[in-house]
Amino acid sequence: MTATTTAAAGTRPAARRPRVPNLVRFLGKRVAITIGLLWGVTVVTFALVHVVPGDAATANLSEQALNDPAVVAAYRAKWGLDQPIWQQYLHYLGNLLHGDLGTSQQTGRPVLTDLVQYVPATLELAVPSMILALVVGTAVGMLAAVRHGRASDQVVRVGSLLGLSTPPFWLSLVVLYLFFYLLGVSPSGGRLSPQFAPPPSVTGMYTVDAALAGQWAAAWDAVQHLVLPVLVLTCLTVATLIRFVRSAMLEVLQQDYIRAAYAKGLPTRTVLGRHLLRAGLVPVITVSGLAFASLLSGTVLVENIFGWPGLGQYAFRSATGLDLPSILGVSLFVALVYTGVNLLVDLLYGLIDPRIRLS
Amino acid sequence: MSATPRLMRRAGIALTALALASTAAACSAGGDAGSAGGSTLTIDTSFVIKSLDPGHVYEATGNTAVHAMYDTLLTFHGADMSKPQPDLATSYQASADAKTFTFHLRKDATFGNGDKLTADDVVFSLNRLRNLKASPSVTVANLTASKTDAYTVVVHAAKADPNVPVILTQPYTGIVNSKLVKAKGGTDGADAAKTDSAQKYLDATSAGSGPYLLDSFDASSQLVLKANPKYWGAKPKFSRVVLRNMDVQNQKLTMSRAKGPELALDLSGKMLEGLPSSLRQSSADDTFYFLTLNADPKISKTTSNPAFVQAVRAAIDYRGVARLFGGNASPAAGVVPPAFPGALPASEAQHQDLAKARKLLADAGLHAPSVKLMYPSITYRGVDLGTIATKVQGDAKKAGIRLTLDPQPLTSFLNAQQSGKVAMRFSPQSLNYPVAASLVNNLAPGQGTAATTGWTVARADQDVVAAGKKVQATLDPAAQQRALQDWQRLLNQHSPYIPMAYNSGVVVAAPTLSGAVYAPAGWQVDIAAVGTK
Repeated sequence: MTATTTAAAGTRPAARRPRVPNLVRFLGKRVAITIGLLWGVTVVTFALVHVVPGDAATANLSEQALNDPAVVAAYRAKWGLDQPIWQQYLHYLGNLLHGDLGTSQQTGRPVLTDLVQYVPATLELAVPSMILALVVGTAVGMLAAVRHGRASDQVVRVGSLLGLSTPPFWLSLVVLYLFFYLLGVSPSGGRLSPQFAPPPSVTGMYTVDAALAGQWAAAWDAVQHLVLPVLVLTCLTVATLIRFVRSAMLEVLQQDYIRAAYAKGLPTRTVLGRHLLRAGLVPVITVSGLAFASLLSGTVLVENIFGWPGLGQYAFRSATGLDLPSILGVSLFVALVYTGVNLLVDLLYGLIDPRIRLS
Repeated sequence: MSATPRLMRRAGIALTALALASTAAACSAGGDAGSAGGSTLTIDTSFVIKSLDPGHVYEATGNTAVHAMYDTLLTFHGADMSKPQPDLATSYQASADAKTFTFHLRKDATFGNGDKLTADDVVFSLNRLRNLKASPSVTVANLTASKTDAYTVVVHAAKADPNVPVILTQPYTGIVNSKLVKAKGGTDGADAAKTDSAQKYLDATSAGSGPYLLDSFDASSQLVLKANPKYWGAKPKFSRVVLRNMDVQNQKLTMSRAKGPELALDLSGKMLEGLPSSLRQSSADDTFYFLTLNADPKISKTTSNPAFVQAVRAAIDYRGVARLFGGNASPAAGVVPPAFPGALPASEAQHQDLAKARKLLADAGLHAPSVKLMYPSITYRGVDLGTIATKVQGDAKKAGIRLTLDPQPLTSFLNAQQSGKVAMRFSPQSLNYPVAASLVNNLAPGQGTAATTGWTVARADQDVVAAGKKVQATLDPAAQQRALQDWQRLLNQHSPYIPMAYNSGVVVAAPTLSGAVYAPAGWQVDIAAVGTK
């Protein structure tokens, strides 16, 4: 049987080779690229942390302790910093292959444990911000496109430009001043009011976990604490989306098939909803993916001002403390988010536009 | 091409609904958590914390919390730094040579789990602290603890040190339950730096005898303490304390609306301006800000020239610098801040003399000298250090000195400072422990800061060296304070340090709170002493 198959394969190799589905091949390629990318991230991050001026011992020991060589030596030995850099890197890589991201010098806990704690907090901000931004951004962007050149279009353009130019920390302080200080209708920061204990952790998102535990007062309190940071992040994201949606929709509005649809007498709702929106969404999905990844990895300032213990704050503390295992952990997570989101975007392209699926 | 009015109306309605929903959510969000009543005290602070293990703690937030959870042999009350007061030790005797200190422990102290606190726990805690070789270990490297009976501990100093009782007030000398900590991997053996594994446990659970126990700790968001039901002393007023990690700007807004039991620890300097007058403020000048000029000619021929140092000293507008630090600051007289015995009187504060500065430069043949001034680009206690550096630059320019500002991220600054290659730098400085004589250990020629400034014994004026030794050798507190003042006067003439201003940490408390006193001893505020009026 084996001999026959081999002989046959020798005469008609192409016909006998088992056919791998396109999607599987595509995913396989992406996984290979992702592994290479993650390895690259470890190399670059490792190198950068060692190139920047500064030293983990200086960042983590008291000034007085730095004058005592025995204490400095003990610190270096404890964290493996007394080994040659290449050895430190190989040690890290070996542990990484076993799923061990190392121990954080800031928290003294495994980096993976830290990520499991801080990522859900950031997700709790990022997901509602992204949903709101998508809804508002698409609606307003479309509105501006179909009313191209009119006053409402100008207002939207200026508004989105303002949103893009507004520094996140400034907007955070302004909303705090307005809603907390002047109006007194919002909490000032954090995830929960001091009188509430965090709910038992299931998802790590307080709103969900409190609801799951039936702690409705805590759940409502957690929702109230979400409002302002989500508002700020939504404003910042929606500004980008509006501009992309408007520009994408304007391009589609010029297409012959849109004119044809109108000429056929189709209702505007159908033209906009079925033809314009679907075609215009492709570039919007790309931007949305990047915006979501950016929300997950780049909310440092907003998290700091609102005292939100998420990935941004963790990354900030790790960077200022030159905490290499944590910096690497965050970098790998961010790289994974970007590759994951890009993969999802590519798959969504195929769903939305059959031409891309076929190609 | 245009959309129908109906579609536009729908889009408009959707957007209005969304806006209304957002506003409704915001409006229904109620008042701030801090205004909640009950027996929860809220403390807002920008977290500087890595560990809650007394053997590892050295940062501000950690010291505040550890002081509330762990008793020490002695302590200070409020802002009074004159003499350590009894805590776990009811009394102590110091030997005449300041090498042996005998502490008599109270017999009714228990840990949070009900275990009795004995001399074994004290010996274990102090020896573990020394052998861990962590940041706070440096201060006790000279000390060894042993017991003579179940309630008597002897602390022996390898070198004479009259300040041992003061050191034993510090949160890092907090007494842990030795039985419990040993069970969790703790050890006081000589190899503790390598073998002790109790930090993880102590970061999650307290093992002390203090008025509070640790309920939960997240270094990014909040630290919750609960009253220790087995506390041997007076019960604290609040059954629960929440230390919240909060940005300084946010602290100002929060305290401006505070009505319930809430206080903030990071509002200082200009940040205090505009706060409601009803809030209570407590402060004590415990930090000095100084210029350091490298005395090593290989690093800088200019800064190692004593005439240049004196010229810069004469060029500074000390009152102007102090004004930039805000209402609590004052111009410096010497390196010992006024919160501590041994400070020079305010009447000896330095003052600007531009003519003297120019003459010193001319006499030394220094024409338009130019130096780089490095400083950490941070905001410290409400003041942007860049603002101060710019003021110094302007003052120096008036005397004909050109300073080029060189701001650095904190870690880079510390790294450069440690290398000893910085010609001129500017930074804040606090005491390692709350006794002014500790500064001699750091600033005297050849010691910590001096070594990174190229100021060796060989390069120093021998009168300064002798004055420093006299401070360390004087055992009588009053005589030591006089010796400290003499030492500072000599530093002002012959050292590479130019102290410019004193500043303070401030406790800003809601009007309803009492006992919220700023503690220069190292723990900012004694949480257990805070009550309601």
